Amino acid sequence: MSGPASGHGSIRLVEQNCTSCMVCARECPSWCITIDSHTEPVPDLPAGARERTRNVLDRFEIDWSLCMYCGICVEECPFDALAWEPAHTDAAPSALVLRHGIDELTR
Amino acid sequence: MSASTVPPADWLAAATAARAEGFTFCEWLAAVDEIGRPGGRDVLRVLLVLRHLERPTQTRVLATELDRDAPRLASLRTLFAGAGWHEREAGEMFGVEFVGGDARRLLLAAEFEGTPMRKDEVLGARSGSPWPGAKEPGESDASPSRRRMVPPGVPEAEVWGDRDPAAPAPGPAEVAGSAVGGRARRRRTR
Amino acid sequence: MRWLDWYGDGSLHVLEIGLACCALELDAAALQVGALPTALPPAGRVAVVVSGTVTDRLAPGVVALVDACATLAGRPPVVVSLGACASSGGPYWDSYAVTKGVDALLPVDVYVPGCPPPPEALQAVLDDLRVAA
Repeated sequence: MSGPASGHGSIRLVEQNCTSCMVCARECPSWCITIDSHTEPVPDLPAGARERTRNVLDRFEIDWSLCMYCGICVEECPFDALAWEPAHTDAAPSALVLRHGIDELTR
Repeated sequence: MSASTVPPADWLAAATAARAEGFTFCEWLAAVDEIGRPGGRDVLRVLLVLRHLERPTQTRVLATELDRDAPRLASLRTLFAGAGWHEREAGEMFGVEFVGGDARRLLLAAEFEGTPMRKDEVLGARSGSPWPGAKEPGESDASPSRRRMVPPGVPEAEVWGDRDPAAPAPGPAEVAGSAVGGRARRRRTR
Repeated sequence: MRWLDWYGDGSLHVLEIGLACCALELDAAALQVGALPTALPPAGRVAVVVSGTVTDRLAPGVVALVDACATLAGRPPVVVSLGACASSGGPYWDSYAVTKGVDALLPVDVYVPGCPPPPEALQAVLDDLRVAA
């Protein structure tokens, strides 16, 4: 899928930077970002350290049929986990196919 | 833009006088719902912008304040034919009755119910849809027991959708004021 | 609303239902490919492209137009939803006045995401339709 000569392009996920903080989902004006996460204890702590937990991302989905490509999510992410991508999102035979999860967003 | 505010009874006279001074082009007429505005009063403000065609950088802005419960104002369509459609839109969006005006809907579907531009009109689609931002970091289901965040445009459940049946019904100012989003607050009933 | 012989060879005729900004992208694509307005031919593939926000007030008109298209053409058109508004209501999904996607009114065959999609995105869809079985 090559990039178009014009247009707003698309948005991709940098999964290793995402902390499941929910800021993008909350700031999105179209409500098109869905996030599921859970907490896990942080492994390999030094001996005697207090137990801590971290968020683990389970599901990150953008519904491209709703997205208006405003880029607020990219700007608001405190961890640079979202970025502009020059290639446009492909057309699809159904709106459900336009819901892209982590696999499609990190391709 | 500075507006001269006149009492509703003087609306037609003030517009007529402005027109006589050369402000002959009716640029637009619209209403604003000022309920819930900090320092504002619970009124519907109607604004009229007239432009001078020979001195086109000059405008005359007239304003008036209407009671939200019975907003009635003289129609200007005999003075400015162009005001007719603006009045139809302000009428259907805010519920203003323009006396002597055209009361037909302009933009809203015939079966639509409500006055959608009033600040206490709840955005049904937002209020009825689950907000992806309702989950906290580290959870997959929004648990109802916590004090959740609410999105802009949706009154808090305690005020509008989910309130204690014994509590008084929310007034328009309470609905308007609660729809700004953020961490859900405890309801203060007067 | 006009029929465009998209490739100039009768292989695909397009009816544009131009409702909002996406209509400009279709027009740009039509200019790029040199599409010509014509009368509807008796045979060949027909596509309707809904470009832009469908308001509740205008929804019956959109349905009537697509129905008339099917009647005149004597065959059901392929329906393309161009852009976020036509696909789901887009940024206006929560409006009191907007139909949440033209698929609330009639079946859609292809959804083109974007706000707006670039002309190349629509061109790619029409290229596929031209040669589809």
